[in-house]
Formats: sequence, structure tokens, C-alpha cells
Amino acid sequence: MTGMALFGAAAVLAIALAAIGSATAQGRTATAAMEATWKQPEAAGDIRTSMMLALAFMEALTLFVFAIIFVLAGRVS
Amino acid sequence: MMNWIYLASGGEGGGQAGGAFFSLLGLEVTGAVTTMWGIMFLVLLLAWVGTRRLERVPRSRLQGFLEWVVETLVDFYGGITGRERALQLVPLVGAFFIFILLANYSGLLPGAGHVFPWLLAPTSHWSVTAGLAVVVFFTTQYFGIRKKGLGYYKHMVEPLFLSPLLLPLGILEELVRPFSLSLRLYANIFGGEMVVAAMVAAIPYFLPIATLLLELIFGLIQAIIFTVLTSVYLTAALSEEH
Repeated sequence: MTGMALFGAAAVLAIALAAIGSATAQGRTATAAMEATWKQPEAAGDIRTSMMLALAFMEALTLFVFAIIFVLAGRVS
Repeated sequence: MMNWIYLASGGEGGGQAGGAFFSLLGLEVTGAVTTMWGIMFLVLLLAWVGTRRLERVPRSRLQGFLEWVVETLVDFYGGITGRERALQLVPLVGAFFIFILLANYSGLLPGAGHVFPWLLAPTSHWSVTAGLAVVVFFTTQYFGIRKKGLGYYKHMVEPLFLSPLLLPLGILEELVRPFSLSLRLYANIFGGEMVVAAMVAAIPYFLPIATLLLELIFGLIQAIIFTVLTSVYLTAALSEEH
């Protein structure tokens, strides 16, 4: 059980660190996209599409950590 | 609480939802496989019934609906790759979109995974999304080689004096693509399911509704992301040298 407890603590830390990075980057992206929409409302559709693509790339990094944790969780006794 | 972590990691103690029902030709038939059969049956049935009596001006509602679906897909991917290329790519990319969308949403149906062990989101298993990504990988190579021959790989060794550096990077880039593509879809859907499971475990009433609504949006977005990235890769393989 000690192994699992240690693993849990490490997992929480890993997710938190990854989430901090992703959230910061996503916040910057969303800010830039909103400013661009405000300056050029007629390009809102294009901006939204490319913003979502960019957001998905950042989101994926956190989720990679998440997936790795789940893969490793099966090996901790 | 520990149970669903083991279930997700594919370890023992997974119970019925992760296990196989029976094996067919040496392959295990799990809940994901039966759900994919259901999706296949649904899509094939719709396509067959909708195109049985084709008319130039659709009179049946189903044909009109199917034409609307195809037109919307062509328009959407045409906005990214250009209409000519989109007409070429939509048979593959659009099929991926429809399948991934239905697969993502099938996990949100009531009773999925617990009451009906044969109904669970196939895209919440890495093996399924990895299969899709492998198809994308080989299609990209095939399109590139068909278009430019072995010159498709020229961008990896050009300029020549940098090729010892560029070649490993180029190969690595090609190989990493299916990994990131499949992991992104799998981790999103699987993560969403785990969040819903945690919510249900905490407060079963009303709290999971918000997450389920978010899952509806994420399912659509992930289907779009996967197919948009696929079309971007394929367009890059098909495009002329600059």
C-alpha cells in the first residue's frame, strides 16, 4: 500500500504540474483569439477553428500525463 | 475507488466491463468490439436505406439528410484543405469523423459500461484509436509515394550535408504522429469517462449532468481534431514541393 500511496502523491503532482502548463498556454491562446475576434469579427469562424486546434494540442499534453499515470497504475502494487 | 483505476489500466480485477465475452477466430470480443459492430450496423443501415432509390432531387427525407451530411463534411474540410482536395479526402476523413463521433457518444448512453457491458465507448480504449491512427499513418505514406514516388522522403535528406541530423528527426516525426494522434483521442474520451465515474462515486444525483454536457462538446471536438489533423497530414503528403 505504501507504493500505491507514493504513486498517488506523485500522480497528483504530475497532473498538477502538467495542468499548470496547459492552463497557462491555453489562457494565452484564448486571449489572443478573443483579441483577434474583437479586431476582426468577420474572421471569427476561422479564428475559432484554428484556436480549437491549438487548444487541443495543449490539452493533449495534460492528457498524455493522465494516460501515462493510468498505464503505470496497473503496475504499482 | 481503486476498482476503476485497475479497470482502466487493463489490470486484473477489471470485472466484466473490461473482459472479453467470447473469442472469435482467436480474437477477443469485448464490449468495445460489440459497440463498434453496433455503430457499423447503424451507419451501414442508414447508408443502404438512404441510397436505395437515389433521385436527382431528393424526395425522401433520409436522402436529403445524407446529402446534407456529406455536403457539410465537404464544406468543412474544404475550408481547411481546399474543395478539390476535400472531395478526394472526405471518403476517408468523413468516415472517420462519423465513426469517431458515434463512438464517443456511445459511451454517454444511459447504462453504458455498467448495466450493459456490451455497450461502452470504443474510443476509450487505446487499441481502437491506435488502429485508426495506424490507418492514417499508412494512408499518408501511400498518398505521398503515389504522388511523388520515393521523392516523398526527399524532405528528410535535404539539404544533404544536414541529412545525418534531419533523417532521424524526420523518421521520428513520422512515427510520433500516430502516437500523439491516438493518445489524444483515447486520453480525452477515457479521461472524460473517469471524471464522470468519479462524479458518480462522489454525488450520484445531478452533479454528473454538467460533466456529461461537457463530454458532449468534447466528443464532437475530439472527432473534429482527429479528422482535421488527418486531413492536414494527408494534404501535406499530397501537396507539391515548394
